[in-house]
Amino acid sequence: VQNPNGSWPVFAGDDHDGSWVTSLVSIALRDVVPAIPARLKGLRWLLSSAGKEASWFWKWKFRTADRHVRFDPDKFGWPWFPDTISWVVPTAFAILALNQLPCSCSGFELAASRVDRGVEMLMDRACPGSGWNAGNGVVYGATVRPHPDDTAIALLALRDRPQDPVVQGSVNYLERTGPNLTAPWSLAWAILALAAHHRPITLLRRALLALPDLFHIEDTSTLALVCLALDHEHALANLGVSM
Amino acid sequence: VSLTRRDFLIGSAALAAGASVSTPFFLPKYHSDRRPKRSRVAVLRAEQYSQQLDQILGEGLRLLLINVRGRTVVLKPNLVDYLTGNAINTHPILVLAAAEAFRRLGAKSVVVAEGPGHQRDTQLVLSQSGYQESLREEKIRFVDLNRDELIRTRLRASYTGMKELWLPRTVLEADFLVSMPKIKTHHWSGVTLAMKNMFGIVPGARYGWPKNILHWKGIQESILDLCATVPIHFVIADGVIAMEGNGPLNGAPRPLGRIVLADDPVAADATCARLMGFEPGRIAHIRHGARFLGNADPGHIAQVGETATPPATPFRVVPEFAKLYAL
Repeated sequence: VQNPNGSWPVFAGDDHDGSWVTSLVSIALRDVVPAIPARLKGLRWLLSSAGKEASWFWKWKFRTADRHVRFDPDKFGWPWFPDTISWVVPTAFAILALNQLPCSCSGFELAASRVDRGVEMLMDRACPGSGWNAGNGVVYGATVRPHPDDTAIALLALRDRPQDPVVQGSVNYLERTGPNLTAPWSLAWAILALAAHHRPITLLRRALLALPDLFHIEDTSTLALVCLALDHEHALANLGVSM
Repeated sequence: VSLTRRDFLIGSAALAAGASVSTPFFLPKYHSDRRPKRSRVAVLRAEQYSQQLDQILGEGLRLLLINVRGRTVVLKPNLVDYLTGNAINTHPILVLAAAEAFRRLGAKSVVVAEGPGHQRDTQLVLSQSGYQESLREEKIRFVDLNRDELIRTRLRASYTGMKELWLPRTVLEADFLVSMPKIKTHHWSGVTLAMKNMFGIVPGARYGWPKNILHWKGIQESILDLCATVPIHFVIADGVIAMEGNGPLNGAPRPLGRIVLADDPVAADATCARLMGFEPGRIAHIRHGARFLGNADPGHIAQVGETATPPATPFRVVPEFAKLYAL
């Protein structure tokens, strides 16, 4: 179902513009040798994709006329969907995918700088206390609270920056919040991120396994995520996150 | 009159610019006029979230002569996120009361469906806001519209310029769609009521969290395109505790002590706006919606229950929306 432009659609039959799942597909195909050309094409599309604020016009607009959301438009990442602005989760997924490139070989010279820019964007969009939500830390002067799953995904992408105060504060937030999580999706993401940052996860794993509806999950993405969290070492290795 | 090439080019550019600005005012952007001759609205007093809502809601539905016998009913509350003490979401007690009332009226099935726009973990919002346990106890099915099966759907108005959207099967196949908004102010759209509540049907898995495409295409315009495409059959608006100020997330709770029922989303939103102290005609999606989706003019609204009297102190809004206040 790969699109002619190298991206992947969200589902078979979807439009051909491309979407956020391109990063996840690239990660999933990591060890599939026959898929190398398709994967490289997907990663090239990823490099050509950027949040709308990457263009001079929208940078100017966000600097001058549209300043209700606090962010630095020079620090951009990836959107969920073409022609929209950068958000935390697609940016973190794109960083994880591009970090798996073995080299800055032909056509990928820009990969390192795009990853750096994406990391800057994540740091810029963090909530004032710690953690991340969809991508707005302050709106109309009000602090917006972090979400456990968004925070965990950003922390996976920032695994190589454990000393950064934003990262440390966010790991602490996730460690504090984890025991109170009652939904498998957020709990599973928290396990993966805390394991990546060498924090204890035994109690969270136990809590995940004890959830009353665990064996009745209908949503396949949640089910897959639970499986990844219960096999976290393998999952993190495949995400390219060193332990 | 001699016309140089330069005059011609300047004239053409001016005409083009004029046309691009004035086209929205001349050409209808909707395909059909769905306004009923007369809409029915009930404003009912409800001071707190309690079991009494069953009785109040039942009385309101009886007054409005609702017939859902043998029909599949989808209740679409407004679930955004959960913050202790903040009146962000439609209260679960009201949603359960509505489900019970429609079951009593002979509905074939009642489903609660929502696709939160901010928080991706829908189940976490459900469990934190008290929905999960209540729905389980009452054996009411919940559908996460962010992850439902999708159908490519041609839009039935062209305010955004988008031709189509992927929309969830559960909503498209409902016989009777009930929008159940929380009455709130909103920092981007002025208010978020029955019509704006339809943003929740746009699937996050396809369009992301938040559903940013709708912001880029214009919030007011997107509301109109969505409501033209997916008709709202009934409205039950939660104004027991409403929200004012920097909504939809960070506003302050505002006790209004009312629920608003209507068989027309424009009439419902216009009535709610009046209860908030706003002039409905100053809210773009209500003003434009009143041209083809429903009635905002009180002369076309048969109102039962209490009158929609503006409050002594209007709801607070962010400065950009001070223009909403009724004179």
